[in-house]
Amino acid sequence: MAASPMVNPGDQPVWVNTDNCKACDICVSVCPSGVLGMKYESTSTLGAMISIDHPEACIGCNECELTCPDFAIYVADKQELKAAGLSFAKLTDDAKARQEQIVANNYMSLSEQGVK
Amino acid sequence: MAFNYDKYLRLEKMPTLWCWGCGDGVILKAFIRAIDKMGISQDDVCVVSGIGCSGRFSSYVDFNTVHTTHGRTVAYATGIKLAQPDKLVVCVAGDGDALAIGGNHTIHGCRRNIDMTLLVINNFIYGLTNSQTSPTTPQGMWTVSQKAGNIDPTFDTCDLAIASGASFVARETMLEPKKLEKILIKSMQHRGFSMMEVLSNCHINLGRKNKMVSAMENLQWIDDITISKKKYDALSEEEQLNLLPLGVLKQDLEVREYCDMYDDIKAVHQGKRGKITQDDFVKKI
Repeated sequence: MAASPMVNPGDQPVWVNTDNCKACDICVSVCPSGVLGMKYESTSTLGAMISIDHPEACIGCNECELTCPDFAIYVADKQELKAAGLSFAKLTDDAKARQEQIVANNYMSLSEQGVK
Repeated sequence: MAFNYDKYLRLEKMPTLWCWGCGDGVILKAFIRAIDKMGISQDDVCVVSGIGCSGRFSSYVDFNTVHTTHGRTVAYATGIKLAQPDKLVVCVAGDGDALAIGGNHTIHGCRRNIDMTLLVINNFIYGLTNSQTSPTTPQGMWTVSQKAGNIDPTFDTCDLAIASGASFVARETMLEPKKLEKILIKSMQHRGFSMMEVLSNCHINLGRKNKMVSAMENLQWIDDITISKKKYDALSEEEQLNLLPLGVLKQDLEVREYCDMYDDIKAVHQGKRGKITQDDFVKKI
């Protein structure tokens, strides 16, 4: 049996189960530090799919996991990440500015231009 | 590892059939976390749901579940609770389910003060059947059954519950899942009828025709019309007009619970005590 999608695939601060994601943009809208973004994906119903662009900026606030309606996105446990020798980042001005740009870009990743 | 929902889900039913960004999923997650925190065995929880988008709630969770007829959640749950008083019974209903077709059952559930939690997921519209006016649809909004704008006055779920005698009444939104989880635990631990209204979004069937195209716009609107109870009480009557207070609105620990009183009836029939008379009650009329 394959590992549960709710188990960390390997020292990631945040990970996604793309089978469950419906591309509603809510996680992107609540992230304070511009970690997430949507990318064009022709096989998805809404034509987009979540992607984790800047995992190194994740501050571990858990907002995306709490507000995801579809059991699709997960944030690592602080203790567990510490045991692996990693830690969450601090919220920087750079990250805040990036988040504002992503929201202004209609929740799309900054590498994807144009309106969804 | 993040919180593991696997244990409480029927994984073969995933992903959920709800639309993208639907608040029902957030409420489902908060409910699962609340049950986990309370440390109750899955076999000791019964989830009863009716018809509508909220009716799917019971299909996804791995508890004892009943998917009942339209609006009759409280009626079924009353039977379950009286037969198994030691189980935790949670009813899940939508605004149309609990207030329109099941309005009578809701009122009399509140009146009897039977120990169960009624979780009303209020998305201000009949979502499953494509946007007909529900009792909670705000006046002036476009619906398919009132295309020139809704003229029906709006129903206040919590006021109804308080007036009909529920002993715990609370309102929350799905915008703050942590707070929602906390108040869900409170309402489930309360002994007596607890009415819990959760405001949710339906950007597909309410939002698209009312200038709230995406989930975020609809959630922003919900954020705008709600205010914490403390701030609400400090406002003048005129300012309160278009706002809904959030938090625990009523908690009464004095009222007797229905299962307890039912035990008295059983004792009478077993010859263990005399008949119940008016003298048994403080409030007689």
